[in-house]
Amino acid sequence: MVKPKVAIHKFSSCDGCQLAFINLGEPLLVLAGLVDIVHFAEAGPVDESAKVDIALIEGSVSASHDIERLQKIRANSTYLITIGACATSGGIQALRNMADTNQWIRDIYANPAVIDSLDNSTAIKEHVKVDLELWGCPVSKRQVINAIRALLFGVMPEEEKDKICMECKRHQTVCVMVTNNEPCMGAVTRTGCGALCPSVGRDCYGCYGPAENANTQALANRFEGLGLIKDEAARRFLFINSGADVFYQQGELMRETD
Amino acid sequence: MSNETIKINVPILARVEGEGALDLTIENSEITELKLRIYEPPRYFEKFLEGRNYYDVPDTVARICGICPVAYQMSASHAIESIFQVEITPWIRAMRRLFYCGEWLQSHALHIHLLAAPDFLGFNNAIEMSAQYGNEVRRGLKLQALGNDLVTLFGARSVHPVGVKIGGFSRAPNKKAVDALLMRVTEAKQDAVDLIHWLDTLELPEDNQDFISVALHHDNEYPFNEGRIISDHGLDISIDKFETHFKEMHVAHSTALHCLLDGKPYLVGPLARVNLNAGQLPADTKAIINGLKTHFPSKNMFHSIIARAIEIHFALIEAERLLINYEVTEQPCLSFEPKKGTGYGCTEAPRGILWHRYDIDKSGCVTSAIIVPPTSQNQPRIEQDIRNALMSLGLDKTKKELQLHAEKVIRNYDPCISCATHFLDMNLVRDGVVENSMLMDLFKNADLSKTAIIGVGSPNEGDRLGWQIVDMLQQNERAVELGKKGMSILKLDRPGVALGEIIRGLDCVLLIDAVKQGEKGLSFIQIDVDQLINPPKQISTHEYGLTESITLLRNLKMRPEKLVIVGVNKVSKSVVTKILNMFIND
Repeated sequence: MVKPKVAIHKFSSCDGCQLAFINLGEPLLVLAGLVDIVHFAEAGPVDESAKVDIALIEGSVSASHDIERLQKIRANSTYLITIGACATSGGIQALRNMADTNQWIRDIYANPAVIDSLDNSTAIKEHVKVDLELWGCPVSKRQVINAIRALLFGVMPEEEKDKICMECKRHQTVCVMVTNNEPCMGAVTRTGCGALCPSVGRDCYGCYGPAENANTQALANRFEGLGLIKDEAARRFLFINSGADVFYQQGELMRETD
Repeated sequence: MSNETIKINVPILARVEGEGALDLTIENSEITELKLRIYEPPRYFEKFLEGRNYYDVPDTVARICGICPVAYQMSASHAIESIFQVEITPWIRAMRRLFYCGEWLQSHALHIHLLAAPDFLGFNNAIEMSAQYGNEVRRGLKLQALGNDLVTLFGARSVHPVGVKIGGFSRAPNKKAVDALLMRVTEAKQDAVDLIHWLDTLELPEDNQDFISVALHHDNEYPFNEGRIISDHGLDISIDKFETHFKEMHVAHSTALHCLLDGKPYLVGPLARVNLNAGQLPADTKAIINGLKTHFPSKNMFHSIIARAIEIHFALIEAERLLINYEVTEQPCLSFEPKKGTGYGCTEAPRGILWHRYDIDKSGCVTSAIIVPPTSQNQPRIEQDIRNALMSLGLDKTKKELQLHAEKVIRNYDPCISCATHFLDMNLVRDGVVENSMLMDLFKNADLSKTAIIGVGSPNEGDRLGWQIVDMLQQNERAVELGKKGMSILKLDRPGVALGEIIRGLDCVLLIDAVKQGEKGLSFIQIDVDQLINPPKQISTHEYGLTESITLLRNLKMRPEKLVIVGVNKVSKSVVTKILNMFIND
């Protein structure tokens, strides 16, 4: 039997989501037995233009040459899955979308003309069709393995859209907002991480992006009730997933300074 | 070409891991150009830190690197705590060392097994290597997993851990989790010993070079979070004096700034640390080093892989000590009031010193940030090393050998572009001939009935070179042989938009066109059409040049599967031979 082919591609990112594979340990060798990993530059195999059954994409579109490369990957792939915040919403570097990037380049580089950088950092779905999004900064091993396993069984993986709050309740984690006045984003953030931040006693900062039906305005009101000024409350939404519509709109509504 | 080095005063942000390439030119047995290009798009971390509260900093800077987020969190925490005059407790200090042991362990084990060892054992990657070296790979993955679990003990996950706060940790780990890890750490010490001895048996190239090692140094311990910055050439400064000796510059071929020490390249990372701090290692680790055939301090960068393994052993001994003495605390994080000021942080990331500077206003918001990662510090040294290493290897070696050796050299530094250097795209120009490794074999075994070599030009002087090459090909025996097997060899006069019609149905097309005289003195340039992102206009002397035609073909989806342009600026037998070698197996 021919093994399904898998490729893992990187765009603008920190490489952290690829570690969901590299950190698998022995299961990585098992995975390599189930599928043929034809392109995964960080781990070794390189065949960027191979036709594959599943392409996983880390990173956001951020330079002019990214777009054409992405279109080729799409044309060569049956299923295209984004892994992580960068690929799914533009990531932390989408914070530049609210600023004058050209000024930043001039501030940093002596020779700005040679820097290839688009004004905005954008999600993969802004440019090509995406079959499945795995949110998170970073994605977890469980998420990526679940997704590949489901596809090997011939079904689409189930998307997790619940709120972190639900997960805290299931874990019986004490609420950090109610008991400790922490400005926790759990009420509007999607599950998938395992509600890690409240489990260590701190506020969630939204790295898994918006949950479904997120009532961001109610949470923003609560943040103000906790004593956050508007800008501080805005920055809760404008952080790792500032490119996600629901967070962006709430953040922009509250932002007072540029 | 504006590739001169320019000094700048404004700091960079640049995270440097990511995409890189190597440009190398050899003329008359001398390297005349060597550039390690880093073209990972900038991500502007230092800029979007401006205006954010101090408490967002650890979670922000972690995102610079998925492989060493702990290092970024640690340098940032120390810098900001120094502004707020927070004196951390012995418990916090000890736990930060333990946290850091986890990161070194996972990062070093990852690099040794997944990135570097396949080089020295002749495999393309660790998955291939695991078929023959299953136990070694499994041992490596086990050490890496243990490192990740130590980070997770405090951070709840190993990539972008969430437990770090300015002033300490969100929570103290419970004793049960600590004891479980202690057992694994104790058991893993033997794995580290075996790993060091295994690496010591590898046939590593002999290549001693003169370079400056730079690391943190602390009188009482092997350095992690604290110490003075020292070198083996007499430097000995406190971390706040970094900017008086170290200067960052922007060079055109890199989105990572280059950093120089008093104008010179220098080395940071495991080999520099072992060279400067071997005396601070635990007795058990020292005893192992004394029994090796490899000696430290070493001036051979290929010994970095062993230095990394030595630090794995150190990290396990240090972690064991800290875990044995572990007590749960009531105060994992200190409270404080934000203050205005400037602070510095410098800690030893797995790849070397990571220096941060922050200005904070009285409300606790960042007004400016400077981050100098290890890879931007090593980049000038890497270029220097490749140059020396290739010279001692011999510049007459085949392109493949030169490339593999250059890749090995680069990987010694474990740059965060390790990922990219695994598919290092080396453009080698030897005596005026550009050899692009991706293209040299593109036409081998092509279906000759669907293949064409087309000389493009016009009757104008200087623009007939493509035609003249075709004339020579038509009289060449090997070319005639290819013609008999069905390949077309023809001339076209400024085909422009008609090119698409002419090459319709062909799979493989090689276009020969004149390039501007004096174009770097080249007589032959192969251009991968897919690399023509912004077609350089000067590549053709035609008014409606080939690049425009090809861009059009590509946009109309009419281009053949394999299409290469060869630019020539003189007619010679060697050019003809080069062209034919692209089609015929030697």
